[in-house]
Amino acid sequence: MSVSQKHPYHLVDPSPWPLLGSLGALASTIGGVMYMHSFAEGGTLLSLGLGMILYTMFVWWRDVIRESTYEGHHTFVVQLGLRYGMILFIVSEVMSFLAFFWAFFHSSLAPTVEIGAIWPPKGIDVLNPWGIPFLNTLILLSSGAAVTWAHHAILAGSKKQAVYALVATRRPSDYRGNFLITSFFTGFQGMEYVEAPFTISDGIYGSTFFLATGFHGFHVIIGTIFLIICAIRQYLGHFTQTHHFGFEAAAWYRHFVDVVWLFLFVSIYWWGGN
Amino acid sequence: MAGFLRSNSLISSAIFRVSARSHAPAARPSAVFTRFFATAHEHDDAEEMQKWRNISIAAIIACTALAIYNFSGEQHHEASEHPIEYSYLHIRNKEFPWGPNGLFEHKEH
Repeated sequence: MSVSQKHPYHLVDPSPWPLLGSLGALASTIGGVMYMHSFAEGGTLLSLGLGMILYTMFVWWRDVIRESTYEGHHTFVVQLGLRYGMILFIVSEVMSFLAFFWAFFHSSLAPTVEIGAIWPPKGIDVLNPWGIPFLNTLILLSSGAAVTWAHHAILAGSKKQAVYALVATRRPSDYRGNFLITSFFTGFQGMEYVEAPFTISDGIYGSTFFLATGFHGFHVIIGTIFLIICAIRQYLGHFTQTHHFGFEAAAWYRHFVDVVWLFLFVSIYWWGGN
Repeated sequence: MAGFLRSNSLISSAIFRVSARSHAPAARPSAVFTRFFATAHEHDDAEEMQKWRNISIAAIIACTALAIYNFSGEQHHEASEHPIEYSYLHIRNKEFPWGPNGLFEHKEH
């Protein structure tokens, strides 16, 4: 390898993680099917696959952090690529939710005779949208505000040495506050699931409700982990005022999850509960 | 001029800042410049940080108040005593791998 690099691109080193991740996905898929069809050791293979995926995520992202933070490979052009990548990832997630909303509206706008031709179907005792769901709306919006607060804290940086300590101590707490907020969302949503009078096996209402809100809840958990990682990296001093794309990606993700919830709340809980 | 506009109230200053930017392009050359050479922004960001800090705190207080209100009231609405067993409810085509009950499912079903 030449000592000086005459282009801004990051030519990555060979890595075993794509292969390991693929094997993990294969084991998870086969293990998942075996588990759900009650084959022997299906659960073991599923756990093994999920473990491989989690391990791949950990070491692969560890390598990315090494390449960017310690080796300085994330130039302007590389960061642009990361931005495109994150945007495309979020767009693909939007498409998943679009499919779930399609299923919901397909089933609810013209309910079939089998469920009494009404929505919600007869016999379904729906949740009150103005109880915990509305509280969760406020909680997610608060977490969005806290992310913006954290972003400006990073951008403002430590220009004034006099307030350096204050900013340094406050900054990690910004994130901590934020992922505490979203943990409350997850907790309340869990309570709501346990107390809900219907389940995912209660016809099309239960299926569409738990598929959409469950998938969203899973994304809230992912976003929370993403922000926890950002908090740790901020604490370790990985982010600068001008280079903190890891945080920005987490903020984009958080806002995406917020917007999805607003649509879920308005259509499934509110409109779909009347 | 930009200095005069900055001294306006918080809400109006956001609007004025846009016009100030168009009159004084040297101070804010481009989005790329401000992102990667952000020192010109620090004052604004400190202000914004403070603003969003206040908004976050207000939002957390509102959430806490709503949570207390929600959990202090009568929460548990009674389900009807003998719900009708519609054919499309409680669907069981085969056993779950982990046992008879679904996830998040009441035992008395």
